Amino acid sequence: MSHTVTHRKGLIALVLLLVLVSVLGWLAWDHLLRTRPQELADDSIEEYFKYGSVGTEEAAGIPLWIWLVLPKMFPEYLPAPGGWAALGFVWEQGRELPVGFSKKTIGFPRVGINCALCHSATLRTTADAAPQVFLGGPSSTIDALAYQRFLFQAASDPRFTSGNILASVSQITKLSLIDRLLYRFVLVPQTRKALLEQKEAFAWTETRPDWGRGRIDPFNPPKIAILNVPVGDTIGNADMQAIWNLRPRAEAGRSFHWDGLNTDLREVIISSALGDGATKKSLPLAALERIETWTLDLQPPSFANFFPIDQTLATAGVEIFTTHCAACHRADSTQTGTVLVLGDVAWEGGETDSHRAEMWTPEAATAYNAFGDGYPWYFSHFRSTGGYVNVPLDGIWLRAPYLHNGSVPYLDELLERPAMRTTVFYRGFDVYNPDRMGFVAEGADAERVGTRLDTRALGNSNRGHLWGTDLAPEQKRALLEYLKTL
Amino acid sequence: MSRKTRTKTRDQVLIDDVRTSPVDRDLARTLRRFVGWLLLLIIVLIAASLVRRFTADRPVDYSDPVAHFKYGSIGSEPGGSLLEAAGGLLPPEPIFRVLPQICADKLPGGYAALGFLFEDGHDLPIGVSKRLRLGFHQVGLNCSVCHTGTVRDSSQAAPRIIAGMPAQQLQLQDFFRFVLDCTLDSRFTADNLLGRIEEAGIELGWLDRLLYRYVVIPRTREQTLQLATSLRLIMGDKVTEWGRGRVDTFNPYKGMQFNWQLDRLPLSELTGASDFPSLWNQEPRDGMELHWDGNNDSVDERNLSASLGAGVTPVTVDHPRLKRVRDWIWNLPPPPYPYDVDAAKAAHGQAVYRIYCQECHADHRFKDGVIDGAKVGTVEPLGSVGTDPFRLHSYTYTFAANQYTLYPESRYRFTHFHKTNGYANQPLDGIWARAPYLHNGAVPTLRDLLEPPSARPAIFYRGNDVFDPVKVGFVSDVPAANGLRFSRFDTALDGNHNGGHLWGVELPAEDKDAVVEYLKTF
Repeated sequence: MSHTVTHRKGLIALVLLLVLVSVLGWLAWDHLLRTRPQELADDSIEEYFKYGSVGTEEAAGIPLWIWLVLPKMFPEYLPAPGGWAALGFVWEQGRELPVGFSKKTIGFPRVGINCALCHSATLRTTADAAPQVFLGGPSSTIDALAYQRFLFQAASDPRFTSGNILASVSQITKLSLIDRLLYRFVLVPQTRKALLEQKEAFAWTETRPDWGRGRIDPFNPPKIAILNVPVGDTIGNADMQAIWNLRPRAEAGRSFHWDGLNTDLREVIISSALGDGATKKSLPLAALERIETWTLDLQPPSFANFFPIDQTLATAGVEIFTTHCAACHRADSTQTGTVLVLGDVAWEGGETDSHRAEMWTPEAATAYNAFGDGYPWYFSHFRSTGGYVNVPLDGIWLRAPYLHNGSVPYLDELLERPAMRTTVFYRGFDVYNPDRMGFVAEGADAERVGTRLDTRALGNSNRGHLWGTDLAPEQKRALLEYLKTL
Repeated sequence: MSRKTRTKTRDQVLIDDVRTSPVDRDLARTLRRFVGWLLLLIIVLIAASLVRRFTADRPVDYSDPVAHFKYGSIGSEPGGSLLEAAGGLLPPEPIFRVLPQICADKLPGGYAALGFLFEDGHDLPIGVSKRLRLGFHQVGLNCSVCHTGTVRDSSQAAPRIIAGMPAQQLQLQDFFRFVLDCTLDSRFTADNLLGRIEEAGIELGWLDRLLYRYVVIPRTREQTLQLATSLRLIMGDKVTEWGRGRVDTFNPYKGMQFNWQLDRLPLSELTGASDFPSLWNQEPRDGMELHWDGNNDSVDERNLSASLGAGVTPVTVDHPRLKRVRDWIWNLPPPPYPYDVDAAKAAHGQAVYRIYCQECHADHRFKDGVIDGAKVGTVEPLGSVGTDPFRLHSYTYTFAANQYTLYPESRYRFTHFHKTNGYANQPLDGIWARAPYLHNGAVPTLRDLLEPPSARPAIFYRGNDVFDPVKVGFVSDVPAANGLRFSRFDTALDGNHNGGHLWGVELPAEDKDAVVEYLKTF
């Protein structure tokens, strides 16, 4: 055999090898990494807020087909029959995913969460009606911890195997051979592994009271996930918050979050996306800025569109509000949006539950301020305050339950002494009681749908905020009526 | 290459060193190669024929649209792939056919006793389709099982089969109970089944017999056990019986499509039986609020959803053949009233009808596509119509949310379903053949519906197909006839209430009679 022939054979082999490697490389890139633009129903900011990406799919997204079959495979780990909707997710008519979930193809379609998951309020006028959705309001129905736990329990279950998941997927679609291989050998095992790691990272939640529907411990998870700060025995359980009407607060440099741990809206939004599962590299800064701009003038829905208001009574309430509440709560008051530190005499002995404030330590604030070093979006405004913000009251009627930890079911109860407030009630049933101002928190339906909140548990105390509790009953009625107009 | 050969002569043995010639060697090599290739070819052919056998998907087709409606496949037979079978509610055809003999005590009278309709020239009843899938002859249900009814003039007369009419005689719940029970019965063994199949003259080859014994029969049991577990509450006796002519559309769906744990739902939500509707004249209905509670305004999506109830899945559905049915019912005319109509009386009735009924129900011209009535096909709030609330409440917002995940990542994904707060105002084309009345079939005749609830029959029997031309509806005071036991209907039970729909109940008797006469012309 001549050298030329050997040479030529070697060359052919090399070319074949190169072709093979590039085909495999292209396939791997196409099926694992290639980012495709999201297909949203329209270009509106509302649509993006509900279903657009805030960068959580890359690291925290769940492969679409796994996400679709999990509730069918493990219904026993859901709080009630109803698939994902049993966790209180809000589903608009005809949508593939609930509000607050985004689908993005990075190699393969993945499902992640976004801001709207916690910041979309719902309201039903009757128990069997479909809820109406109000963007930017606090969710009172979603159980974020139960969602995490469902995923952890499913991943821990011996039935979470490639074979079982593909068998379940085969009931709803025909996957291509390459997708089947991808799911069997990569995505299912990797998803399981990632969820089990996350389960470890969430072990601390087992030793403290549940968040329950409409609440979240927003800053202990990032301590572990990204800041490397020990959780210790802190408890940060708090109500989800409204993000309406942020312009006056942003422009005046007022505080955000219940304890005012940051005064810069841009940082607040970026850190929220990180908390949802975005990474330093996946943060979609332009999209987040678009959301930020939109929240500046986003308005709450009006109570009067759903229930009647007694205008005479409401007018009578103005003066009571001015005397007893306005200093801290009127939009244009200098104290509104500032922190009242626990122990300050201004509390007049009425401090509310201290756990949420104590959760955000100086150590954690320092760590978060260092987290973005070297990135254009670096943080510098995190701080530990040791108190709570005097919140503005726009749309307060839809922000029940009340106090930062959602320990008071109705606004009329917040005007009673703590001893008179309900000890145990149910959160997450979004039928509204317009007389008491709050979501129905007792009775068979509320018990069936909702999660139990025991105000005697750590972090759940309904003490404090005594302002207005000594008013005469008719003054309270008038004040309440006025509060309906906000 | 060489070998020794021994040749015996008279006195010695000669041993030759035989050298094979290159030609011989080449021949031998060629022969070996040939045999090798031949073997490979045989293996490939066997593999190909097995693949062909187990991947073949061959529905039995009918060129006539009515025959297709009655016997054609919409894909509800088990399908998917051999390793991951999907869909299907019924066992393979040979088993399905002998099932009534295996458990004769559970179903004396066979499928006909459940109201299945048999026609000459067909070995399976109307509503059961045949299809070769996964290597076996399968059966499935199609639209006509619930949407073909019979009418007879008297108990002695022969029944007339009307395709597209509600199957008011069909005991669907007992049918599912029978199939589930018998499949899990101790007599459901390979020996028993294969014996019965042979007796019935159904031929199975040796391979089929083996596969039936070791794969098909055990797997049928296994799948049935799962199905029976998920539907236990619905097929049990804790919620009101469907009875003949009714189905609980959405609760089985919760269990089968979404694997909800039904025992964690309130029993009230699991009570939702309602009448089968008619299928004719769909074109003018598109865009109206369809289903009894008006939860969907797309005829096509409603059809696709209904076929899930027959057992199709997003993987097994046969869109082209479903479309054939859709195209046929699109303009299928309602059956004309088969008896005489008193024209003068009907004309008087029309005048009354125009005042009391037309706004919601349109007039007799709906059968020609004329929609004359502002509220036709819209939802009447429960507080206004006042009929039994159970069916409405069994369809929940949470359930609708789950429906939007059906047919994922495809153009068929459900988007039209929605929760409503009442019952839809139905057009009344062919209303004479749609008895009993109200969504839950709680009122046996049209004339009874025009009486106040207290004067409507409190207990009656459903499923008789003998027509009552005076009250317009089926004879409802006979517990059994023509080998069928009818369903006793107690209006005091949850889901069976006959209250509400009070329009016209205060009219004088002759006006009511006239309205009923006019309704015969629809």
